[in-house]
Amino acid sequence: MSYISVQGLCKHFDVRQKREKGSLLRKKERVQALQDVSFDVEQGELVGYIGPNGAGKSTTVKILSGIMVPDSGVVSVGGLTPWENRKEHVRRIGVVFGQRMQLWWDVPIADSYDLLKDIYRIPDSEYRQRLDELTEALDLGGIIRTPLRQLSLGQRMRAELCGSLLHRPELLFLDEPTIGLDAVSKLALRDFLKWENREHGTTIMLTTHDMEDIAALCSRVMVLGHGRKLYDGDLSELLGRFDRLRTLSATYDRAPEVPELPGAERVDLEGETLKITYSTDKMEIGTLLPLLQKAGGIREMTVQPQNIDHLIAAMYQEMGL
Amino acid sequence: MNTLRLYRKSMAMLIRSHMQYPASFLMQTLAQLVMEGGEMLAVILLVDRFDHLNQWTPGNLYFFFGLMSVSFYITECFGRGITGTFPSMVRSGQLDTVMLRPRGILTQVLCADADPRRIACIAVGTVSLVIGSRMSGIVWTVPKALMLLESICCAFWLILGLFMIEAILCVYSVKSVELANALTYGGRSACQYPVDTYPRPLRVLFTVVAPFALVMHVPASHILGKPLFGWPGWTGFVTPLAGLALFGVMYTLFRMAMRHYRSTGS
Repeated sequence: MSYISVQGLCKHFDVRQKREKGSLLRKKERVQALQDVSFDVEQGELVGYIGPNGAGKSTTVKILSGIMVPDSGVVSVGGLTPWENRKEHVRRIGVVFGQRMQLWWDVPIADSYDLLKDIYRIPDSEYRQRLDELTEALDLGGIIRTPLRQLSLGQRMRAELCGSLLHRPELLFLDEPTIGLDAVSKLALRDFLKWENREHGTTIMLTTHDMEDIAALCSRVMVLGHGRKLYDGDLSELLGRFDRLRTLSATYDRAPEVPELPGAERVDLEGETLKITYSTDKMEIGTLLPLLQKAGGIREMTVQPQNIDHLIAAMYQEMGL
Repeated sequence: MNTLRLYRKSMAMLIRSHMQYPASFLMQTLAQLVMEGGEMLAVILLVDRFDHLNQWTPGNLYFFFGLMSVSFYITECFGRGITGTFPSMVRSGQLDTVMLRPRGILTQVLCADADPRRIACIAVGTVSLVIGSRMSGIVWTVPKALMLLESICCAFWLILGLFMIEAILCVYSVKSVELANALTYGGRSACQYPVDTYPRPLRVLFTVVAPFALVMHVPASHILGKPLFGWPGWTGFVTPLAGLALFGVMYTLFRMAMRHYRSTGS
């Protein structure tokens, strides 16, 4: 059996609405957060879990980490049902929330780690070794005696990661880990996650809105929308399906006359630059070029694919999300 | 054993956290001292107008007041995770972080916060106990000392149990501060005087529902040599156990609430 096995997972919430005038009871609205979601994850996989806000990503993570009980469905993580064996299960997993800190605010992060050592009952020698390893990999040496509140967001995230990996979890959940981080911190974080995954075979599940994270880390991606699983597989294949739009900019010697371009999605003239957005299945660059050259002398030209966020937006739109 | 060490370490860390802001800590501790000192002054002024209240002399009343202060503020000091922090943990979702660790939820909640400033109030209570004991001329024996100790320990669990009502209800997203406060802070104010000074409904409330009388007043009355309700001496050791029983009930309800939390994930 796979390391994580999820079969027919369902979960709904009753959302209370504001009380209407004249009625004593508040109406409840039923929201289906997860509807018949199934998937398998093998040990050592690095999986991206994406979807728009409210798609059910966090609900899945909460159920898999044992803090929420589903309505129905069978879940097994490493042979255990998460919500039935909470203490045993959480000993083997680590969870990092990008927007919620688990370390203590006013004390040096080394003190927080020391307390986590007792919470997880980590033996002394193992703890020393692991802490040294993580301190080096996450470059925490200079800040380990600094209280959390004095650290920058990027430093805090690294400190949090260290805290959630001290007990050597087999499985790591990351909920929007790069939110609000600068470019350098983001890159360092991604490198670290790859290292941890390679070095210790840690299974990693990542939810994020940052598509660059997914592209850099995950070969496999799952897309969730309205509580259903919409896609599960290769990221490049998924993008290939939607990656059709190109934007061509051509700068002329002098402002050209806008040529007739049948099949282009959009044509704009900005000063001497002509911008054409076209879809590769309706138009080919070979037919486009001669038309452009007729309009005047081209000084400079670039062709750009759409950025990954636009692709995902197009995909959500097509999937009706 | 490991749990005790965890608790000790957590407390040491909390004190260090408080000491990050030493001026603020000192000021607030002084404020607590003034507050509880004022409370004691009110009792002294009130008692001063009468020679006695039923069979209780002023010294006896100071003893009752001291017993309540010490017990109540020990609870607020060490039980702050429940008495203060828990509802905000539920609202902010911090409780999820707690559940992600391989430890009991109540253990972690109690480890998560403490209020060392209450030491000032505990000191006032202790002074009141000593004055009360002197004025009442108590002859201390080992059984009497043990009875007092048991009473304070059981009162800790009783008051913690009462504070858990709010913790339990907040999981069901019920705003219940008033109801819970009536029993906790109301109980403290009322039961710093012995229960037989109150009319019957209040007597029943503080004996059966929130058994302050059983946990504190019965043993204290034996220590003072004026048994409440004329009950025999051994009752002073038995009735405080009502505090543990109440805590047991609340703990069961708390576990039910946590099950509910995990199925609704509010």
